[in-house]
Amino acid sequence: MKRLQTSTAAKCVAVLLMLAAVFVGTLCAVKALLALPCLEAESWTEISQFRQMLRAREDNVTFYLADQQRLAQPDLTYLDRQQLENSAAEYWKQTDPSATMFRFQVKTADGLKVLCSNLGEGEVLSEIVETVYYDAFQLGGYGIIDDAGWSQEAAGILSGSASDPALTESKTAPEADGSVFCIIECGVVPAVPDQVSDEFASLYRSYQHGQDYFSGYVWTSAALLVLALFCLLYLLWGAGHKAGTEDVTLSWQDRIFFDAYLFVMLCVGTALFAGGLYLGENLYYYGFYHEFSDSYAEEAKLLSLAIAALAALFMGVAALTLRTLVVRCKARMLAHTTLLCRVVGWMVRTIRDFVLGLPLTWRVAAAYAIFFLANVMLLTQGMYNGFWILLWFILHIGVLLALCWWSLCFHRLRKGSQAIAAGNLSYQLDTARMPHDLKAHAEDLNNISAGLSSAVDEQMKSERFKAELITNVSHDLKTPLTSIINYVDLLKTTEQHDPRAQDYIEVLDRKAQRLKKLTEDLVEASKASTGVLTVNREKIGMAQLMDQALGEWTEKLEARKLTVVTSLPEGETWVYADGRHLWRVIDNLLSNCAKYAMEGTRIYLDLTRGKGRITLSVKNISREPLNVPPERLMERFVRGEESRTTEGSGLGLSIARSLTELQGGTFDLAVDGDLFKATVSLPQAN
Amino acid sequence: MQTILICDDDKDIVSALDIYLTSEGYQTVKAYNGKEALRAVDQYEIHLILMDIMMPELDGIRATAKLREGSNVPIILLTAKSEDADKILGLNIGADDYITKPFNPLEVIARVKSQLRRYTSLGGAGKGPGLLTVGPIALDDGAKQVTVDGEPVALTPIEYNILKLLISHPGQVFSSAQIYEHVWNDPAFGSENTVAVHIRHLREKIEIDPADPRYLKVVWGLGYKMEKGANG
Repeated sequence: MKRLQTSTAAKCVAVLLMLAAVFVGTLCAVKALLALPCLEAESWTEISQFRQMLRAREDNVTFYLADQQRLAQPDLTYLDRQQLENSAAEYWKQTDPSATMFRFQVKTADGLKVLCSNLGEGEVLSEIVETVYYDAFQLGGYGIIDDAGWSQEAAGILSGSASDPALTESKTAPEADGSVFCIIECGVVPAVPDQVSDEFASLYRSYQHGQDYFSGYVWTSAALLVLALFCLLYLLWGAGHKAGTEDVTLSWQDRIFFDAYLFVMLCVGTALFAGGLYLGENLYYYGFYHEFSDSYAEEAKLLSLAIAALAALFMGVAALTLRTLVVRCKARMLAHTTLLCRVVGWMVRTIRDFVLGLPLTWRVAAAYAIFFLANVMLLTQGMYNGFWILLWFILHIGVLLALCWWSLCFHRLRKGSQAIAAGNLSYQLDTARMPHDLKAHAEDLNNISAGLSSAVDEQMKSERFKAELITNVSHDLKTPLTSIINYVDLLKTTEQHDPRAQDYIEVLDRKAQRLKKLTEDLVEASKASTGVLTVNREKIGMAQLMDQALGEWTEKLEARKLTVVTSLPEGETWVYADGRHLWRVIDNLLSNCAKYAMEGTRIYLDLTRGKGRITLSVKNISREPLNVPPERLMERFVRGEESRTTEGSGLGLSIARSLTELQGGTFDLAVDGDLFKATVSLPQAN
Repeated sequence: MQTILICDDDKDIVSALDIYLTSEGYQTVKAYNGKEALRAVDQYEIHLILMDIMMPELDGIRATAKLREGSNVPIILLTAKSEDADKILGLNIGADDYITKPFNPLEVIARVKSQLRRYTSLGGAGKGPGLLTVGPIALDDGAKQVTVDGEPVALTPIEYNILKLLISHPGQVFSSAQIYEHVWNDPAFGSENTVAVHIRHLREKIEIDPADPRYLKVVWGLGYKMEKGANG
């Protein structure tokens, strides 16, 4: 299939076949058209040409008779006599029964006397011909008159002559002017002897031919034209496709401006068509006047050939035009290769660029001005004509629709920017079918969201990488740390000769324990802040949790002479949280109190409920002055006192905040003088 | 004389553990990866295995799975990973207990002793009518006595009553108020905050590491429960 579409040889064959089919098909069509009268007549004698031929024969007979009359005149010169005799002989020769199918007899007006005839001996006209045609004419006088009004100026010559014994013997008295009425009876013998080749035989043969072959011509012509059409379709299907490439290739003639091409082709085509019509008319009239003469056949053949050639040329031109049209359409280049489209497109683009280049405010003002003017114009016209009112309505509906469209797009834009503002950075605005300005805005938003989202992804990746790194590093720290702790412990059990060694071992032990705590906190902090911890949120009682936490810490706090004062709200204190993570938060806060609260002071734990949230606040008096702002306290490795002599990693508050936020809560710190206050707030569960 | 297999890819840790366990009177066999551990189990009569998780050749989890195919020797996993998922995986695959690195030598000794006692002597202990057990913890209501791994533990009456309530409903979570009402036989009007302190004391007495209890667990924000699956 593909090969057929691209084969050059097949295309050449198709072109030749198409042209030949059109040529032959047109020839057949011309033949069929010419044979059409034969087909319409029931018998060949009813063809109009038959009557014309008969009349021509009658005329010949009358010319013969007229010549005979003139020969009878005594005062003819020799030359004239010779001429007349020749002419008469010529006329007579044509009526020779062996050479023609025509039979006739001329009678006097009373029909009793035969003046002239070409019938054989003993033949009776009415018996040998199918139909006898009668005609009357006047011999002498003003001329020969027949019903067709044809006349000949033989009157003068015949006038007063009565030398012809046939005429003088006529019982009918001559008219006053000496003319004689005659009757001609004529007909055509039915059988066509092969040797006879006069016009009747020719007409008969062509009639028979037409009868026999008309449908053949019609069908051949139709079939050939269908074949030509098929070839044309094939050529159009294959047009522009070349072997070795999938694309549609344009030839040089597909690059000419299509309108120019079309104009030239239309001119050529019109000229060819007009030429064909002219020749056809010629053929028709030629046939009308020179029916079935010998020269006619030659002429008609030439004309038919010329018409067929013109038709083939016309087909060629039409095929070329269609081909280039189809190729351009296939390559989607029709508009591009049409001068008119390019000019119009250029103008539209220029105007659009100009309009879009204007600031939005100017454009709105201009649009409003045009709208206003259109309103005024339509309304003033509408006073006299309802049609303009209709137009005014259409204008307003159009403007309304445009405004709706604009607002819808704006709404889409709003939704998109809200989504992006809410943190959905993967949101992509659909910019299809948006007005120009909103589209530009939407694309900017899309770019912003894409940029932000890639930045956030990048940051997430680096955070995750950091968390993984910390986990791995701390794992690698733990293994040697295990040995350190174990061997320090073993050292303690061995005998030391130097009493100071005991102290050194104590220091080693303390620092090893602190290192252990530090690595554990470090992993926890990095996990909490990067959000890689799994959070199983369930309904838990905040008061119960606070109670349990205090149970864990009471003794340690009492050891530091710290008194805990709690206050609970009325009713249930359910929150949605992960109990273990929330315990870590409270554990860290209480551990903070145990480490940094001034001895002998009170610690206030207040649980409150309000605005759909449960809030736990822990207040204590710091032992050291808090010279760090609360925000800094939540950063990693920052402690209330910078000297870092106390135990603790400085990660507790950072972990607490991260864990609270992981559970959808908020964590706040406040410092007022030595008063330290931490607040954990979580959404209340029903 | 009981034999303990110590398996860790860090030789210092292995020898430190060897010192502790030998001083406690156990025989030890050393292995430095999972494959050696499997070979050692074939060669010697092993009563307990201490096994690291992250090891070359064959890690602790796979080695445990292999060992469990034909043996029920107690296995304690040593893990540097503090991830809960690792502990749960280890216990599910057949380990009996776990110790998180860096560990306290005393804790190791305590857990080894506990596992060995359960494996050797307590394996077929009969259950009397008043005997309630969860893991190594046994509460004899008739004698009003509590033993952990066969060792008697001295509890106050309140602690005893709390333990009896929890151990007779293993797996069930009791809030502080419920425990208070059951044990004190008084309605709890905010006075249940002492329950948490008693539970803490109780944990210190029956758990090896009270901060990471194996049996008497704290369900944060809801209450306390005795672990159900540990009974076995």
